[in-house]
Amino acid sequence: MQKMLQTEVSQLLEEVGQLAQQGEREKAYQSSLRATSIAPDESLAWYLRSQTAPSPEEQLMCLSRAYSLDTTFPDAKKELRTAVQTLLKQEPFLAYVHETEEFYQVRSGRDLLVNIPKNRAFDTPYLQKAPGLAKPAFRWLSLSLLALVLGGVGAVLLAPITAFQALRLQASSPSRGDRVRLWIVFILSVIIWLASIPISWLLLIRLYPS
Amino acid sequence: MLVRALYLSAIWFAISLFATLMLGARLRRSNSALSLLWLGVIIIAGNLIALFTFGKFLEIFGLSSIAFLFGLLWIIRLRDWNAPGQVTWAMTLMTTGLFIFYTFLLTAFSPLNPLSFIFALLFFFLEAITLLLALAHMHESLDVICRVRWHRLLDKLDPHPDYLPMVSLQVPAYNEPVDVVQKTLDSLAQLNYPNYEVLVVDNNTPLQETWRPLEEICRKLGPNFHCLHLDKWPGYKSGALNFAVTQTDPRAEIIGIIDADYEVDPDFLRELVPAFANPQVAFVQTPQDYSDHKGDVFSESTYRGYKYFFEVSMPSRNERNAIIFAGTMGLIRKSVLEEIGGWDEWCITEDAEASLRILMRGYQSLYIKRPFGRGLMPFNFEGLKKQRFRWCFGGIQILKKHWEVLMPWANWVDPQNKLTFAQRYYYLLGGLGWFTDVFNLLFAFFLVLGAVFGLLSSPIQVRPLTNTILVLPAIFLFLHTSRFLWVLRNRLKISFGMALATMYNFFSLGWAVTLACIQGLIQREGIFLRTPKSKTSSRAWHAILVTQWETIIGLICIIAGFLVFITNRNWRSVSLCVLLFWQGSLYIAAPIYSLLSIRREAAKASRITDQGRPMLEQRAARWVVVLFMVMIAAFGLITVLPSPSELPAYARYLPIDMAPQQLLGQKLGSTKLAMATVSIQSTHCWSGPGGKYKQVTLLRRGQEAEILGRNADPNNPWWYVKIPDTGLECWLWGMAATTTGSVDNVPIIQ
Repeated sequence: MQKMLQTEVSQLLEEVGQLAQQGEREKAYQSSLRATSIAPDESLAWYLRSQTAPSPEEQLMCLSRAYSLDTTFPDAKKELRTAVQTLLKQEPFLAYVHETEEFYQVRSGRDLLVNIPKNRAFDTPYLQKAPGLAKPAFRWLSLSLLALVLGGVGAVLLAPITAFQALRLQASSPSRGDRVRLWIVFILSVIIWLASIPISWLLLIRLYPS
Repeated sequence: MLVRALYLSAIWFAISLFATLMLGARLRRSNSALSLLWLGVIIIAGNLIALFTFGKFLEIFGLSSIAFLFGLLWIIRLRDWNAPGQVTWAMTLMTTGLFIFYTFLLTAFSPLNPLSFIFALLFFFLEAITLLLALAHMHESLDVICRVRWHRLLDKLDPHPDYLPMVSLQVPAYNEPVDVVQKTLDSLAQLNYPNYEVLVVDNNTPLQETWRPLEEICRKLGPNFHCLHLDKWPGYKSGALNFAVTQTDPRAEIIGIIDADYEVDPDFLRELVPAFANPQVAFVQTPQDYSDHKGDVFSESTYRGYKYFFEVSMPSRNERNAIIFAGTMGLIRKSVLEEIGGWDEWCITEDAEASLRILMRGYQSLYIKRPFGRGLMPFNFEGLKKQRFRWCFGGIQILKKHWEVLMPWANWVDPQNKLTFAQRYYYLLGGLGWFTDVFNLLFAFFLVLGAVFGLLSSPIQVRPLTNTILVLPAIFLFLHTSRFLWVLRNRLKISFGMALATMYNFFSLGWAVTLACIQGLIQREGIFLRTPKSKTSSRAWHAILVTQWETIIGLICIIAGFLVFITNRNWRSVSLCVLLFWQGSLYIAAPIYSLLSIRREAAKASRITDQGRPMLEQRAARWVVVLFMVMIAAFGLITVLPSPSELPAYARYLPIDMAPQQLLGQKLGSTKLAMATVSIQSTHCWSGPGGKYKQVTLLRRGQEAEILGRNADPNNPWWYVKIPDTGLECWLWGMAATTTGSVDNVPIIQ
């Protein structure tokens, strides 16, 4: 059944191409309509329908659909841009609907839902980034540092825990970056521990003067 | 010895700085022999002062040798600076280092109860960070004034007549008055460049009447002008600019960002685009300039404050390829912007953040120091305060997001991170520098609480107020203030009065910066500051209301200083009073500038360009109030907890203090009686020079006694004193007291 459908869609798409070349625009449009109704997830069908669509609005809708189905479809991307520019010349209003890594979805002033390619590398927003492997060790390091400036006694205990955490996490096959991070945490915790000894001694001689 | 070394170093620092203030900007050549000669002159001049006052020949000789070697090291390292700059930097570094060491010893070995010690330690760390930040400011000042060879600073680029890539100029607008944007677009229409488009991106402006006319203006200006209105758009300005990139002409290679209130010179593109002929150049920045700065002190000083960044910080950063993209009047390569993933919509200073990500990839940036356009400044102090809050908040966001890539080990963690040491230093400093105002407020709190507890006759025993601790910070404050005024005068070519007004304009925003630092650390998303609204129509009352916190803090400092002055008139109280007045004046400047700013055109003040989640100032200030309460509670507890009743053994490591009279050389021929004043909470007086002897009596802080004799050990001095009224004679440990009068003539008692 699936195979039969695919064959029918392929035939229809071929037919659309031929009819469009022969200047039979209306017939080509009807065939593309059938193709998009049979295979609504086929980007080429939507693209070919956009080529024969009677109105610029429908053309834009079809291109937008074609692009969202296949964001690597270069012709759809290029023509979508031109269609959006034409739309914006008539009505510059666009309202935000949502976005993906690849495109924005907007609602135009004429109430059309359009997908617009982003054309840029995707950078995970800072607040959504997953915490790195070394994060627990850094948390212990922060606590050790805080303990150091608050008299040092806490750091005498916390810095070895930090060092232990760093060594323990080393065993869980971290990436190169995390491995370096964990060594840095280890070295810093040793430095904090060394600094905490005289500072905590200074605090303790005040607690127990004798 | 340490204290004498510190004072000698401070004298070298002061002499070299004042010589630099006079000669630093004039001497336009660098020569190693001249630098060595200058180093020698400064050291000898300082030595002569020390020899005739407090110095000891052998110590001076030893320290001079170290100072000479240290100076030599910096002369070799800073070959592009002139001699005064090199020597001043070496002396500043040396004095700051010695002072930090001195304060550490004072913190470590003062007789304090445990809670006092913890507070003293915290205070020491804050003090050390503040001093390091002051060092960084000194370096920046000397770098621009005393630099004789610039490697990257350009006024003008070489023309490239055949290189005319397409440029897309993007004009982000939010709630901008139509006439303001019209002027900007008219100026862009006059650009002397054949291949560009202009994209006006209005985002989230609520009223159609405000944004609809922009569409018509663009239509009239021709096919190269396009207009977009983005509704309910996330990400504020950066969100809008990111979308604008999708709508730029595919042929465009360069993107320019122009704020909607800028009138741009016709040569803007013709002059700057040639920079991109070098494929390594990713962005070019020019200074921001303003057209509405004449007429009153507020506008002039605000204008000079902006200029400072572009005349001092940016040239210095540019020498190390570490500039920031300032968000307007700059060009950026489109492919690089796409490569980094566009503007960060999380950060409210997305321009500076993007420049860091670009530099991380190893690209070049370029600063051209000629302004190519003029915009509008905030129209009143309220606007300026909100703008500074936003800048600082964004700076802290950058620090929070990128702190790891700025660390010394960043290149090991991520070999793709191509930031150089200097780039990391400048970006780290750009974030940490904001905290100077937080430390300044903490210092003001400390002074106020010190004064209040002192007036209640229960002084806070956090750190003994030795003479050195009272004298040297005052000298540092004076020298660094002089340096700041000198840089302002020199680089901005302004009068002393205007330099002073500009400096106060900077400091008057300290409260807003403090709030932004705290909120930047706490908040996850961008916020803007909402100042209190007044119910009356009085503009003067509103001006006071928007600076109510600064006014309260300033008045508290000044009243505390006044009370200290009228209750106790010794030189210590006077110095505390001067410091309180100084701190108060920094905060009181805010309402004064706010009142001055109401003279500006009222209609213009109606611009509303805040974006983000609002945060009421009262709400933002609650953390500061909590901090103040914690300090009061802790200081209260410190005074209740007992201090060491006997002099602890560790106190012998305290550096020996010097009296002001000794500094001024009054040991020669002075006929005044030698007196000892107890400087710690309480101490015993003993029957012999040591803790093993019998206790004769207990002496309290501030109690005075005439010195009749001393022991033979100069490193562990004991004074044989006569207690007034009682007539008792006993031994007082030198570390527990400061001395006045001629102690050198006191006889040694075996």
